[in-house]
Parts: sequence; C-alpha cells; structure tokens
Amino acid sequence: MLKINDLQVSVEGNKILKGLNLEVKPGEVHAIMGPNGSGKSTLASVLAGKEDYEVEGGEAIFNGKDLLDMEPDERAGEGLFLAFQYPVEIPGVSMVNFMRTSLNAVREYRGQEPLKAGEFLKLMKEKKSIVELDDKLTKRAVNEGFSGGEKKRNEIFQMAMLEPTLSILDETDSGLDIDALRIVANAVNKLRNENNSFLVITHYQRLLDYIVPDFVHVLYKGKIVKSGGKELALELEEKGYDWIKADVAV
Amino acid sequence: MTNQTLTTNKSQKEKFLNPFTQLGKNGKGMELDIRAKAIEALKDHEIPTRKWEAWKYTDLKTIANRDYQFSGESSLDQITSFQIPDLEADQLVFINGVYQDQFSSLTYNQNLVTISPISELQGEDKSIFETHLGSLINGEEDIFSALNTAYAQEGVFIRVKRGKNAVKPIHIIHISQASEQPLATQFRNLFLIEENSSVEVIESQHSVGEGVSFSNSVTEILVRKNAGVEYVKLQLESDQASQINSTVVYQEDDSRASVFTITMSGETVRNNLRMRLDGQNIESHLMGINLLSGSQHVDHHTEVHHLKPHCFSNELYKGIMSEMSTGVFNGKIHVYPDAQKTNAFQSNRNILLSDTANIYTKPQLEIYADDVKCSHGATTGRLDEEAMFYLRARGIKEYDARIMLIYAFAMEVVDNISIEPVRNFISSLIQNRF
Ligand SMILES: Nc1ncnc2c1ncn2[C@@H]1O[C@H](COP(=O)(O)OP(=O)(O)O)[C@@H](O)[C@H]1O
Ligand SMILES: [Mg+2]
Repeated sequence: MLKINDLQVSVEGNKILKGLNLEVKPGEVHAIMGPNGSGKSTLASVLAGKEDYEVEGGEAIFNGKDLLDMEPDERAGEGLFLAFQYPVEIPGVSMVNFMRTSLNAVREYRGQEPLKAGEFLKLMKEKKSIVELDDKLTKRAVNEGFSGGEKKRNEIFQMAMLEPTLSILDETDSGLDIDALRIVANAVNKLRNENNSFLVITHYQRLLDYIVPDFVHVLYKGKIVKSGGKELALELEEKGYDWIKADVAV
Repeated sequence: MTNQTLTTNKSQKEKFLNPFTQLGKNGKGMELDIRAKAIEALKDHEIPTRKWEAWKYTDLKTIANRDYQFSGESSLDQITSFQIPDLEADQLVFINGVYQDQFSSLTYNQNLVTISPISELQGEDKSIFETHLGSLINGEEDIFSALNTAYAQEGVFIRVKRGKNAVKPIHIIHISQASEQPLATQFRNLFLIEENSSVEVIESQHSVGEGVSFSNSVTEILVRKNAGVEYVKLQLESDQASQINSTVVYQEDDSRASVFTITMSGETVRNNLRMRLDGQNIESHLMGINLLSGSQHVDHHTEVHHLKPHCFSNELYKGIMSEMSTGVFNGKIHVYPDAQKTNAFQSNRNILLSDTANIYTKPQLEIYADDVKCSHGATTGRLDEEAMFYLRARGIKEYDARIMLIYAFAMEVVDNISIEPVRNFISSLIQNRF
C-alpha cells in the first residue's frame, strides 16, 4: 500500500526527515510515536502534499504510484487522508458545502457519479452519528468556533465520509477527553478492515489501548530508530523516550 | 514655465468640458437655476491631479484627454441578458443615458410611489423633484459634481410616499454601447424616501461591445424620519469603461440606509459615497466588493458624518485584486461634537492574488465627541495557504479551492443584501468570474 524509502525532507533549509523507511501493508495499523519536534507532523504533511516541504531524497510509493509527484487533491482521490493535528478554520465556507464539494471531487476522481442531494444528506447523517458530531456544528463554517475536541471529531467525520484506504491521524488524540477519545477510536475501528490501513501518530500510549496497532515505530531526529509490536508503546509509556535517545546517541 | 502649465491645464479642462456643454442643451426637466449656478461653479473647479491628496492614487489624465461624444443610438433589440433572474422589479432601462420606454416596465401604484425618468416628469412630481434637486450635491463640491449638475442628460426620480412602501424593488439598468468614438453619459438620480416608508433600488451598469466609455453620475438620496433604503450598485461594465460615481445619502431620525457597491470591472472607476447621519437612532451600512483583474483600477472614497447622538454606522469593503489591478480605499469617519454615543465601525479587507496587484488603503477617523465607540481596521494578504491546503487535502482541485475561498470572502458582504435574487445573481457572477 505505502512504501517509503530513504525519505529526506527539509523545511526552510533545515533537514527534518533524514532517511526514513516505512512500509504499510493493506489492513495494517502502524503507530508512530516520538518526542516533540522529531518530525512526525512533517512526515504526515509531506505525505499529504503540503507545499512548504522540500523533498531532498527518497521516495514514497502509494499503491504503485509515485505519491510525492501528485497534487494534494490527487492524493486524496487515490485514497489518502490526513486528519490534521491543527485543523484550520475556514470562515464563510459552510460545512455542508465543503463536505459535498470534497466528497464529489473524490468520487469524480474515483470514477463515481456525484451523490444526489438526498443521498448525500443521508450519508452525512449516518457518518455524523458515528463520531457523535452535533448538528449545530455541521451548520457552521468549516471548524469555525469548534472546540479543540470538536475539530478532531470533525476530522474523523470527514475521514468516515471520504472512505480512504490510508488514513494518517496526526495526534488526533491530543486534547481529547476520555469519552471523545473512545468515540474517535470506535470510528477508526469501524473503518478498519483488511483493505484499509492507518498511520496513527500519537504522543501517548493511551489511544493505542483503543486502536490496537500492529506495529509501533519510534521517530526520533528524523529517522525511525526503533520498531516493534504493540508492547513497544507500553514500554515507551513506562520508560519515556530517554532510553531511546541514549540508544541513538551510542 | 508655470504660465505654460496653466494654459495647458486650462485648455485641457475646456477641451474636456466642451462636449458636455453640448449635451446639456438636450437635458430635459431639470431646474434651471441650479444649473446656472453649477455652470458658474465649473469655472472655478479644476480637473484633479495626483498631486491632490484625494486623488493621490487615481490618475484622470486618460479619462480627461478623450474626445467624447453622446449617442443614444444602439443596435440592441432586447435587454433580457441584463435583467436579474427571478427579480420582480419595476424596471427602467437606459441605453447610452437615454431612456428606453420599450424595454422598461413600470407597474407601480401611484398612490405609493413615483418612479420616473426625469425627462418624463410632470406636475406635482416635477415640482417636488425640482425643489429637492441639488440639496445634497449642487456643484460646489468638485468639477464632476458641477459638470453633472450643469449638464446631466437624464436620471431617475424615485419618491416613496409617506408611510408607504414601494412593493417591488426598483431596478435601473444602464447599458453603454460605445462606437468608434469614446462615449460619455451623465446621469442624475434623486431618491426621496418620505417618512415611514421604504424602498430597495438596484442600479446596474453594463457594456455592450468593447468601445470606450465614461460616465459621470450623481445620486442624491434623502431618507426621512423612520424611513429605509437599500441601494445596490452593480458596476459590471467592460474594462474599457470608466466612471466617476458620486452618491450622498442624507438620513433623518430613526432611518436606515444600506449602500452596496459591487464593482467587478472598469478601466478607471471612482466611487464617492457620503453618508450624513443628521438625526438620532440612525443606522447606516456601507458595503462594497472590488473583484478586479487585468489593469482595472477602482477607487472608493467614503465619508460617514455622524452629526447627532445615538447612531450606528458599519462599513465593510472587501477587495480581491488579481493580475495588475489596483484597488483604492479611503474611508473617513467624522464624529461631530454633538454625536455622543456614536457607534461607528469600519473595515477594509483585501486579498491580492498576484504580486502585481495593488491596494492602497487609508482609514481616517476624526472624532470630536468623547463618549463614542469607533473602530477601523485594514488587512491585506494572500489567499490563506493553510485553508487552501486543507481543502485540497480533501480532494478539492486547486482551482475550485481558490474559488471557494474567494467566494466565501466576498459573500460576507453579499450576504447582507436583503433581496434574495440579487444575492443569488451576485454570487453567480463571482463564481463565474474565474
Ligand atoms: N513549516 C515549518 N517551518 C519551519 N520549521 C518547521 C515547520 N514545520 C516543522 N518545522 C520544524 O521541524 C521540526 C519537526 O516538526 P514536526 O514535524 O512538527 O514535529 P512533531 O510533529 O514530531 O512534533 C521541528 O523542529 C519544527 O520546528
Ligand atoms: Mg506534530
């Protein structure tokens, strides 16, 4: 599904990712953990196609295609979804209009007919209930006046609408209380199947109690320095990152 | 040297004015005394240059150096493409400044309202028109208002009678169809909104063909006690069309006025809008959109005069400038010593879509009362990159994402227009612009 080879990325002249390798197969859930500033969001943004990032080497192959050569909207069409760490507010663009435009754009890319108004609203309703997103929120402009937690749930709502095959969740759990965390995890688990994969970026082991990963990777100073099974997350929770840092220093 | 410059200016002014004096001979129905005074006033006014503070960013040389003609001739056999879909309105159509009876439709009830081209005014309406003409703009202001007062060829008189409402909105349609020679028109409106009455007026300007045109128009709006007016100007001419457009709104106690200026084209456009809040508990809204491309140049000069206490004014102008276009915004709020408890807000926000587009924005607050709430702010930026990326990451193509954001930006103004078909019309213009 996704194969990243020796990815090197810099921002404003600073090298952030320094040769990152990762392979995600269909149906797998990978967790990426690591201290602040290690490059987790950079990885997510580069995969989603954000412009500020300069790819200086390596490649990312998504379903056999060169991901880094595609426009952000093409990547979404191909089935990639990024749940943003900091979702942006877009005044004046209503949630409904945004979601309809987005869904129909993705459908068009996938060679599907646009949804009829009735079908669309029905789908909205169904997916909203999965993340328990208030009707009041979908009547507003995109993310406008949403609380931190509501923004995160809105990301997962959009994910459920667009039915991606690879979802990248960038610290979707941060700022969520335990109930919201459960809602988000349930939504992810509902989408989880043998075809859909997830890249779950998180700071805390907590989320991984609910979304149980197949693999856990530690990203530190722009490289994956350690990989393991779900027990690695527990170990990190217990011991912190210092032992990893020490390992790397050696 | 100085002498020579003076002569050049003088002859340039005369050359510019000359064709208009010819036109004035045909101008019908306007009270003569005020015209004579304006002709006198013209002698003292000069064509503004960029050395004048109020004209710092707008160059009139090109406009002033053309050899204009006036022509009512037109090849149009229908005007439906200039109508606003689904808008049921009393409609007056003018081609090159000349009233077109066959394209107009007036079905108003005479007990409620008078809606008439000035050339056809008679009886009581004519005398009421003449009594009020020039009460807000009389030619002393500048060369353009003097020129208009002296030689305007036509205009619209609207009088909404005391305690009545004009049931349908009124749509004034201007179509310019210039031939080889540059075309000039001079238009003069007077709207008299009597006590406890209200009206909605849409005035749209369009071009046919690519000929060069210039219009110099003046609109006076008197809003009596507890009356209301919504006036929407749609400036949709070609980018060969220039204009000077001066509007003064005078408001009495408890009145409401909203003026929208939606400018989507124009070679050189100057809009002067002045609101005089001469009563208590008045509400005034001034709103505008510049949606410009090419080398279009649009200059808004607005003034809000708070003369009495307890009034509210709200001003929001938004500019979206692409390519090499230029927007100018100069907004003045003047709060007089009597005008305690004034609430006056002003905001000018701009998006530049290219490196070569320009905006010059200048707010001016002159506040002579102490118990007031006033604010102003101006912002200029690019399209929000973060928002662009968010939309594109959701599968929306770059082009569509841009339109979505521009549209959202502009709709903050458009949403304040109360007539739904007009709102829909403007939003489709914005969406189809790209
Ligand atoms: N747009 C940017 N401009 C400049 N520096 C950036 C930008 N984005 C990230 N960085 C820098 O890159 C490094 C990695 O950041 P990030 O990927 O956000 O880390 P993480 O998500 O792991 O906390 C940090 O040092 C951060 O300051
Ligand atoms: Mg991050």
